[in-house]
Amino acid sequence: MNLVIRHLTVLVGLLLGFALVFVGGGTAIPLSEWDGMDIVSEGGTALLAAIWCMIVLCSRPDGRVTRLLAGGLACIMLGSWADCLDEVFDIGKVALWDNVLEALLPLGMLILTAGMVYWRHEQANLSEHLRKRERLFRSHRPFDRITQLADAAYLREQLRRERRNEQPCALVLFDIDDFHRINREHGQAEGDRALQAVAHMLLLNLRNDDLLCRYAGERFAVLMPGLTQQQGDDAARHLCRMVSSMRHHAGSRRVPVTLRHGCASAGGAPDALLAALCRQMDAA
Amino acid sequence: MIAWQGATEASIPARLQPALALEYGRSHDVPDAALLRETGLTGGLAADSLVSPSQYLQLLSNTLRALDSPDTSFMLGQLMLPGHDGAASHALVQAPNLRVLLESLCRFHARLTPLLRPRLETWGDVALLYWVDAQGAPSLRPALVEMHMTALVALCRWLGGARLPWRFCFNRGAPRHVEQHQVHLGAELRFGCQLDAMLVDAAWLDRPWPRASEMASRLALQAADAEPPRTPGLPAALYDYLLEHVRESPTLERSASDFGVSPATFKRQLLRHHTHFQGELDQVRTHVALWLFQVRRADNEEVARHLGFHDAANFRRSFKRWTGLTPGPIRAAIDGELGWLSSPPGAAAGA
Repeated sequence: MNLVIRHLTVLVGLLLGFALVFVGGGTAIPLSEWDGMDIVSEGGTALLAAIWCMIVLCSRPDGRVTRLLAGGLACIMLGSWADCLDEVFDIGKVALWDNVLEALLPLGMLILTAGMVYWRHEQANLSEHLRKRERLFRSHRPFDRITQLADAAYLREQLRRERRNEQPCALVLFDIDDFHRINREHGQAEGDRALQAVAHMLLLNLRNDDLLCRYAGERFAVLMPGLTQQQGDDAARHLCRMVSSMRHHAGSRRVPVTLRHGCASAGGAPDALLAALCRQMDAA
Repeated sequence: MIAWQGATEASIPARLQPALALEYGRSHDVPDAALLRETGLTGGLAADSLVSPSQYLQLLSNTLRALDSPDTSFMLGQLMLPGHDGAASHALVQAPNLRVLLESLCRFHARLTPLLRPRLETWGDVALLYWVDAQGAPSLRPALVEMHMTALVALCRWLGGARLPWRFCFNRGAPRHVEQHQVHLGAELRFGCQLDAMLVDAAWLDRPWPRASEMASRLALQAADAEPPRTPGLPAALYDYLLEHVRESPTLERSASDFGVSPATFKRQLLRHHTHFQGELDQVRTHVALWLFQVRRADNEEVARHLGFHDAANFRRSFKRWTGLTPGPIRAAIDGELGWLSSPPGAAAGA
């Protein structure tokens, strides 16, 4: 709120300053010769430009784009204000400063245009960033309460999308070996911690294009666009090695955590694909 | 006279199954008020108090609703067995093999699984364990089945040290959260069947488990037998009764008198379990008919005779009414794996 008051003070100060300059440098025109229409339109433009300037300043974080937009609008405000004051005070034809002040209007428009160009760049960058994150996964759309990963429903949705793609895509499932024993011997809270540890370890070792989901229970799924089944299998082996080298502790006791995996080439109906891969995991 | 327990009679020790559900809800940051709503247990669960089946069901229903997560029933199941019911739980842990474990579970079902009654059938090289309602809770039935199946699968895995190759049949359509079934139970799932059952090759029944001790098992069973038995819920008791008398065309009046109450009271009591006599009788007759189809390879004529129908056509019509299917398609599917429990291929395609 402080900032709003400060911006407002500056704007009002500028407007009053201009008025003082005109009072000092010119002679008042009698009321009968005022052109009401001009005064209303130019004064109104100045007032509205002041409001737009305030909106920009209050709703955007500080930065180049904000400064350009606000500065442009402020110039337009002052230019129109000078025009408006010109109607009320008679300034001699020789006084150059009056012309300079009125030139603030076109200058403001130029600055505003530049600001808008940069604003467009900024928007493009932002949406590019968002698009990447969406594709990318990670905590962006937390579905699962424990691991903050996407769930099986999201995986099926992505598999359906992947079907339309020409490029190869590998799907890998990971199970934590003897996870039920961690739950039985250390309690479900420790089991949840182990799940989080594995999720982190997997995330750190994935490519940006990969999608990690918690399928259900102790089963994770990784979708690897652009990889063939063979490449996916290699990547999965690496992930298993990384997790098995991790040191996980339940209380002060070290609990070995190892993974086993099953890999398939994504394509075909998601439900059938996942059912077949789960069967493969059970047999492993 | 047959012993049975009404839906609103306090019979389940609060410190056992009810405490488990409450603790699970609490560990997931659900306030007690939400978990105990409409249970009438406003003061919480006193350690040595008893809870009625309907209160326990309400508590479970509250927990499932408050957590609103597809894995709740499975996680509750993981915690459920062997349980903490003294000698009965101990008998489970000491079981030297799968057969003794399943038989103990069925024998002490009123203590170990008060909501669903497990029944074991074996024939040829198949062992089948199916779950029937012990208290009657139609809306919770799918979650209860998930919970109890997970409990048994997890217990066998723990005691046996390895995952058993169970196959599962569900009396429901394919759920949206099938991944939970795949991970917590196994990949061999059939939906749209007439029974909630789990099957395993009978060869697993007598394979000794690690740490198995026949003697410890015998002693544990003796200790459990020595304790006063808990009375099963009315639907569980009625199922057993009807199965025994299915050939004598049981009636409501006759059954009520065998259960020691008037027909009107009997009806009212069944209604408290959200069921009625005819529904229970039809269910038992369906199960018997399926068993005859599968094990005896019986035709409609024989099954009709066995169940006391006038003729095959009559039986066929009734069977259609019970299951929505005529015996033909079911028998046709029998030759397929798991066939006798499944609907025709079209209906099972979702599995």
